[in-house]
Amino acid sequence: METWRLVDIEYPDNPFMNMAVEEAIPRVVGEGKSPSTVRFWHNSNTIVIGCFQSARLEVNMEACKETETEIVRRFTGGGAVYHDSGNLNYAISLRKGHPLVPGLNLQSVFEKLSEGSVQGLRKLGVKAQFQPVNDIQVDGKKVSGAAGSIRWNTIFHHGCILVGSDLSILGKVLNVPRAKLEDRHVASVQKRVTTVRDELGRDVSTREVRDAIVSGIESCYGVRVKSGDLTKEELGLAEELYQTKYSRLEWNLEP
Amino acid sequence: MSTAKLEKLKSADYKAPGGKLVRIRLKEDQGQIRSVKITGDFFLIPEESLGKLEKMLEDVPLREPELRLLVDRFFRGTGAQGLGVSSDDFVKAILSAKETV
Repeated sequence: METWRLVDIEYPDNPFMNMAVEEAIPRVVGEGKSPSTVRFWHNSNTIVIGCFQSARLEVNMEACKETETEIVRRFTGGGAVYHDSGNLNYAISLRKGHPLVPGLNLQSVFEKLSEGSVQGLRKLGVKAQFQPVNDIQVDGKKVSGAAGSIRWNTIFHHGCILVGSDLSILGKVLNVPRAKLEDRHVASVQKRVTTVRDELGRDVSTREVRDAIVSGIESCYGVRVKSGDLTKEELGLAEELYQTKYSRLEWNLEP
Repeated sequence: MSTAKLEKLKSADYKAPGGKLVRIRLKEDQGQIRSVKITGDFFLIPEESLGKLEKMLEDVPLREPELRLLVDRFFRGTGAQGLGVSSDDFVKAILSAKETV
């Protein structure tokens, strides 16, 4: 049985460093110097935009200032998401050729590597379902969004799970284009998302959800998940990526 | 002596059938694309290839046959994989760009 490394390394008040670590892990996993890894982490108030998005178009800068929300660009595609301490982020890095995802089709990566989270949420009693392209939904409402890539010799998948996030801030800081809303026949971003807390009708900690997802990963992929640390190489690379990329305005805000 | 500026700014927010958004901001000069910026919430791997597509689109006539040929050539030539966006979506998004003030 394969053992996956579990890392809880996080910098909740430094979303830029969090993203640097997010990139460092798959790079080193792809080199065969680190094992298959699942990471859990949090950001305090942050908008994370997809690598192809325009910060100016997607983000309400004024609302970000008022709510002290940071803006960071990730290295994967997909849409903007709002993170706060009630949001749980997870990331899975597998070396290319891993038997779980033999093909190199991004849609099947999302589907396969969302399964652990879907199973974890179901264990908690949330009727979660994977919804292509990259969502996990409960009765048509999004509770989790994923993104990913196949690069650096790695299959990389990450997602965020709305556990108990403040959806009122989410509605203020993200500009949702009219074309997007009309398609889904709903009036606001707030009405088409839900949280684990709202679905279960009780307070749920992100730790409880993390533990359920670890259990979901173990049962649906047939692996053992064991706590570990980042290597010196990963930490050094993260520091370098922080300095040269993620702490820089030109990466985060342009175009 | 300065020549009259004929450049037009055009933009579009085009929603692909899968629900992903392709946002186009382009400069057109006498029926040709001078430059184009493509943004949105789609997936494309390798990610760096989008810049290549934008570069390929420079000085291309803003007409469907030429655009279709070029975008298809981009996907074939680079082996890029789109998710939530196709070659057809990029072409339609660019063609739907309207003049902005």
